[in-house]
Amino acid sequence: MGLAGGSVAGRGPAAGGRVSGGGTRADARLGGLLLVPALVAFGALFCYPALLTVVLSFRPEGAESGWTLASYAAFLGDPDARRVILLTFGLALAATLASVLLSVPLALVLRRRLPGHRFFRTVVLVPLVVPGLIGALGLLIFWGPRGWFNLALTQAVPILTRPLNVDYTIPGLVLFYVWLYFPYTCVTTLAAVESLDPAIEEAAQVAGAGPWRCLRHVLLPLASPGILAGSVLTFMAAFGAFSVPLVAGGDHRPLAVEIYKQIVVPIPPHWSAASAIAVVMATVQVAFLAVYLRLGRRRGGSR
Amino acid sequence: MREAARAYGQAFREARTLLAYTLLVSLTLFILAPFAMIALRSVGRGWFGKRWLPPELTLEWYRWAVEVGNIPEVLKNTVIIGGLAVLISTAIGLTAGWAFGRCRLPGKELLMALLLLPLMIPPITYALGVARLFYALHLVDTHVGVALAHVAVCAPYAIMVLSASIEGLDERVLEAASVCGAGPGRRFLHVVLPLLLPGIVASAIFTFTHSYNEFTLTLLTYGPHTVTLPVRTYLAVGDGYWEITSAMAVLMVIPSLLILAVVQRRARPERLVGGFKGA
Repeated sequence: MGLAGGSVAGRGPAAGGRVSGGGTRADARLGGLLLVPALVAFGALFCYPALLTVVLSFRPEGAESGWTLASYAAFLGDPDARRVILLTFGLALAATLASVLLSVPLALVLRRRLPGHRFFRTVVLVPLVVPGLIGALGLLIFWGPRGWFNLALTQAVPILTRPLNVDYTIPGLVLFYVWLYFPYTCVTTLAAVESLDPAIEEAAQVAGAGPWRCLRHVLLPLASPGILAGSVLTFMAAFGAFSVPLVAGGDHRPLAVEIYKQIVVPIPPHWSAASAIAVVMATVQVAFLAVYLRLGRRRGGSR
Repeated sequence: MREAARAYGQAFREARTLLAYTLLVSLTLFILAPFAMIALRSVGRGWFGKRWLPPELTLEWYRWAVEVGNIPEVLKNTVIIGGLAVLISTAIGLTAGWAFGRCRLPGKELLMALLLLPLMIPPITYALGVARLFYALHLVDTHVGVALAHVAVCAPYAIMVLSASIEGLDERVLEAASVCGAGPGRRFLHVVLPLLLPGIVASAIFTFTHSYNEFTLTLLTYGPHTVTLPVRTYLAVGDGYWEITSAMAVLMVIPSLLILAVVQRRARPERLVGGFKGA
């Protein structure tokens, strides 16, 4: 609550100071003052914990002092760990590709504003606002051995006597990830496709391009920065997925789940090991973030 | 000949529309059918074997969810924590938003990107540090503590939304108020605040949804007195009584859907996706 109090107190001069249009230096000083609450929160709730995690990752397991690389060596040298990293990448990549394959036709269809398109636009957003755990629960039930999917499948294909295993398998996880994270790709793809000037398409048609060539050589290349940026978002979300693989992953544990297991399964908890994995994961994520920002800048520049 | 071409064109368009609707309807099924199954599971009894629908309806699972799952208590915790997170985040968002929207700051873009960083990195990577810090400060298992952990991800949303609405304030209105003799206090209370209200409401909705759904940071800072709905659902999924879990899920998802209705009406959906200004 101290944070809230501090920022309310800092609010007064904000309303007064700017309106009279002070000089640039007073302006910058006021701005700096106003940023204090945000910076305090950022420092205490993000920077310090992140730093603490980095420090912990270099401590010998269970010790309060000393420096060692043992946790990293143990994690990166373990063949199981390599499987975990590979699984995390594989899941995220497969989910991203599937999301693009789903989003592009979907965006092209939604762009036509068929009757009822508003309803379908809202449906696309549902996985973004629903808690991931509830999504996971529903997916586990729907794709499970007694769910509607298997019911429909066994009725449509009589040769199948046993239900298809989807839950707790890797393809099942990819499917769940797509359900959860394709809206990121879809929303940005839709925004990219809809911001295109219709005149460009008309020009392509006038020049004699059929719908397919128009799509392949005109629409998709123009929309590709948006599609790419959305895919990076989906990839990052899938790479960091935690709650869904935690309940729906079964034996398949991506990095985020592995970190959590390190502090809840062993007694006493393996804080150093968990921190080392967290640092590896954060490093990879920051690299993706850099790619995303670069894509964003390029897109911004071309407009 | 022309007649045939027209008929062909008509058929082609119809086939295309049919294809479009097939895609849209299957997508809707893919996204919504799991919820339908949760809802049916939560009111069905004796739903075993190859049945499309439960043979018997009951509200018993809801009674179990309320009594055993302690849903009213859990809901109270979730709302208190969400409210605190919204208050703190809005205060941070208003001050930082004013700095970003109205002041000439050196390195503004970089600062903004820095403050939005917690949104772009999976919370699990810094949740460990948050947990260690909060254990040391005895903030674990307190409402304020869990709310503060949520602020790490809620404040960036507030800053993003409020910077945009503060930047959009019309300078002339503020000057007019000043010319008419309104002091700083009155100007803020009677002019700035009402103008910013839609932005504040939007920001509060985003931050509350985020806090309401937040799982990772809660899981590492909660205790027996601060169980929130996502944590409760997680524990229930582990328990394996999926009928009761479904009942809890239904109780929990209703506010999310209400929020979606508001979001769709009031705010641009792209904001849910995040990302930086101009990106």
